[in-house]
Amino acid sequence: MAGVANTWGYGAMTNSLNDIRHTKSMIFIGSNAAEAHPISMQHILHAKEVNNAPIIVVDPRFTKLAAKATEFVRIRPGSDCAFIMGLINEIIQQGWHDKEFIRTRVGGFPEMADVATKYTPEEVENITGIPAAQTRKVAKILAMNRPTSLTWCMGGTQHHIGSSITRAFCILQLVLGNMGKSGGGTNIFRGHDNVQGATDMCVLSHTLPGYYGLSDGSWKHWCRVWDVDYDYMVSRFKEKKWMNAKGFTLARWYEGVLQNEKIHQYTPIKAMIQWGCGSNSNSQYNKAVEAYNKLDLFVIVDPFPTMAAATCTTDNVYILPCSSQYETSGSVTSTSRQLQWRYKVVDPINGSRDDYTIMSDLVKRLGFADQFYKNIKEIPEDITREINKGTLTIGYNGQTPERMKLHMENWHTFDIETLQAKGGPCNGDYYGMPWPCWTEEHPGTPILYDISKPVAEGGLPFRNRFGLKTTYVMSGREENELASQGSCNPGSEVKGGYPEFKDVVPGTNWKTDLSQKTIKEAIKRGMAPFGNARARCVVWTFPDQVPIHREPLHSPRPDLIEKYPTYEDKPNHYRVDTRYKSEQNPDLAKQFPFVLTTGRMVEHMGGGAETRSNKYLAELQPEMYAEINPIAGNNLGVRDGDMIWIESPEGGKVKVKAFFTERVDAKTIFMPYHFGGVLMGKSLAGQYPPGHEPYVVGEPANVCTNYGYDIVTQIQATKDGLCNVSRA
Amino acid sequence: MGRMRFLCDIERCIDCSGCVVACKEGNKIPVGVNRRRVITINQGKPGEKSISVACMHCSDAPCIAVCPVDAIYQRDDGIVLVDKKTCIGCGYCFMACPFGAPQFPSGQVFGTRGAMDKCTFCAGGPEENYSDEERKLYGQNRIAEGKVPLCASMCATKALLAGDADVVADVFRKRVFERGSGANAWGWNKAYKK
Repeated sequence: MAGVANTWGYGAMTNSLNDIRHTKSMIFIGSNAAEAHPISMQHILHAKEVNNAPIIVVDPRFTKLAAKATEFVRIRPGSDCAFIMGLINEIIQQGWHDKEFIRTRVGGFPEMADVATKYTPEEVENITGIPAAQTRKVAKILAMNRPTSLTWCMGGTQHHIGSSITRAFCILQLVLGNMGKSGGGTNIFRGHDNVQGATDMCVLSHTLPGYYGLSDGSWKHWCRVWDVDYDYMVSRFKEKKWMNAKGFTLARWYEGVLQNEKIHQYTPIKAMIQWGCGSNSNSQYNKAVEAYNKLDLFVIVDPFPTMAAATCTTDNVYILPCSSQYETSGSVTSTSRQLQWRYKVVDPINGSRDDYTIMSDLVKRLGFADQFYKNIKEIPEDITREINKGTLTIGYNGQTPERMKLHMENWHTFDIETLQAKGGPCNGDYYGMPWPCWTEEHPGTPILYDISKPVAEGGLPFRNRFGLKTTYVMSGREENELASQGSCNPGSEVKGGYPEFKDVVPGTNWKTDLSQKTIKEAIKRGMAPFGNARARCVVWTFPDQVPIHREPLHSPRPDLIEKYPTYEDKPNHYRVDTRYKSEQNPDLAKQFPFVLTTGRMVEHMGGGAETRSNKYLAELQPEMYAEINPIAGNNLGVRDGDMIWIESPEGGKVKVKAFFTERVDAKTIFMPYHFGGVLMGKSLAGQYPPGHEPYVVGEPANVCTNYGYDIVTQIQATKDGLCNVSRA
Repeated sequence: MGRMRFLCDIERCIDCSGCVVACKEGNKIPVGVNRRRVITINQGKPGEKSISVACMHCSDAPCIAVCPVDAIYQRDDGIVLVDKKTCIGCGYCFMACPFGAPQFPSGQVFGTRGAMDKCTFCAGGPEENYSDEERKLYGQNRIAEGKVPLCASMCATKALLAGDADVVADVFRKRVFERGSGANAWGWNKAYKK
């Protein structure tokens, strides 16, 4: 999401699932929506059938989504950026770019276009394996069928250049002028009904809730919201500097325990709580397992025992059974930025307790319940109210529990095409008040950056987040970062770009003014609280200011490494030294000749602890397997259904069943990542609490996923590693 | 009275098995018995298509014709049901069915079979509506409640349609009309290289 937020302000899906009904063409890259997001398919297929919208699917695999495509583009894993820059170049060369949109709302275009010229269709073919003629054809389809909806998922992000790849996606949509339009947008599908909510609350190590970051001002803002004394908060840390330092990430926390690489913290990690975490989604999972056993204390909170629970051979682990979503209530935020109220269906069963109760008991015993619960008397409504009060950056202030419940009770009054209520008690609101919802009267923002509507009615320009002027290092050109004259929402007092609002209440800005007078003042003047700026093609704070291709750390194409090398090694990347250049070895592909990529299957979810414990889902997908092309299988002397070993360069290996299919090409192995309960050939079924082992156990694919992390966000690179295959 | 029918739209079915799980979970079907299943052809290749299949509740149902004990009967609304208390588990219906719908509990010695089980269109069975006996032997009776079968109501893409034949046909006709318009018309791709 860092790549997206750094382009135009926010890192979320810009339109909604329903809005895809209005698209004229769709491109999916690194997304298998038919398996990962089946519900979205009714809107996708609607657009295909009713608008004759072509569906372009770019993927290393012929997925179930590809089966519904009008154009399937098979791409080499990890080369997404080259393909997209190639599309951008072809569009510009043919003069198909939206010149007026770029002139008024986009920054750094010439600098970006200059870089894109290197990605000719022929060079794209060399890097990605996509025929030059197909790149030209896809560019033409997109240019002739606007607006286009662009969707990506983990297939686009989980690479060491993930933050460049996501920016390339955004730039493609800017060049085509598809942003802020119904039927257009970057529609980044999130996993389940509250992944966007969890992201917005920033259950992350580098920022406080609402993307406020870790600066002193951010801590002071949240201390005011929580009604907690700032100095008390400082006193909770060993030293103040740790309040402002990014922590370990989910991808590499185990280095904080194992210290195979140098860590930048005064102590190794000694204790961990995993709360609703499908831990076997961690790459190099065997190292995570090693770390579990070295922790002094390890607490797992989950409705079902996860694989982590079964891997612990020491007596350091505690499993707290929490109830499922049906046994509790509260607010959740969907992929379309819509807030919904989830009602409790039954009381918690089998001695489980809901998350709120577990949290409450925990903070009581830790001795700071009095500080923790200052504003929270009624659970969970008061939690939502506290979020409303503080999360001003993304406009979480208008979605009160009362409004959410009213929406739930009046579902039938909302229009499926526009998501807007026609009459009834929610008249004019968009369903779920998609954020930003600036005030308790605001209807929500169904499409981000849409300047065709007034801000008070759900319109927005691009956010002013990166200064007022910049000089590009590559060209020496200076550019005004605000939108050009005449480009603004209807009714805006300033007819053109303007900076973000501040000092309406002296000493505060729109993000920190808890009285919300600043936000209301902006809306009253027809303007966006966050300003009106240009979206950026050049991000001067990133290692690659314009997205470029870099070969995967473990590349199957040693001949390309010299031309497209990775980054220099990065010390202290989220508290641990991280290897790039020193890890990229051209000889590795000789020993590990297959590309390993992973993904989802429709029957199972995440680490699979829940779905593999459901007898019907277990019946449908009872066994772990690896997809292998019949050509590769026959060359290896393996038969369909034989057991094979798959080994990673890091020494992880799994014993799985070979599944012959042409979904993958002869150089690629695919594994679903939902299995667990077996580790490197050894079943751990006996190590679950008695009676709680899942119906189905299998090797976790992530034992074989390789070393490699994004240069900005440190997301793990699970989609473009290398492996070797042999008969078991 | 209306005639109940299923229709699975292969352009819409995405092989998610949501219908299968909804059926099993809602009707408490034992593992190994599949009242409904999703079949995929050309898996992993261009031309991959999936279809969800269950008892189609045929007009002139061959299973009724071959049943030696007259355990299978057809309601006025076209729904074909089995009386499990009469069924002797001979399997003739399975041989006769063109869709492979009849199911038999497996795992017993000498291949003996219990009473046949199949899709009821979520209309229960011959027992009294909503009775415990009906629920135990046949599962839910949603038709009596005025609801469509679980599988169709759960379908993510509305590929699986169920209900009054005229309404189902209207929904499908509209879809085909929209798909056939303009550039999606049959043969245009080949003829005009759209």
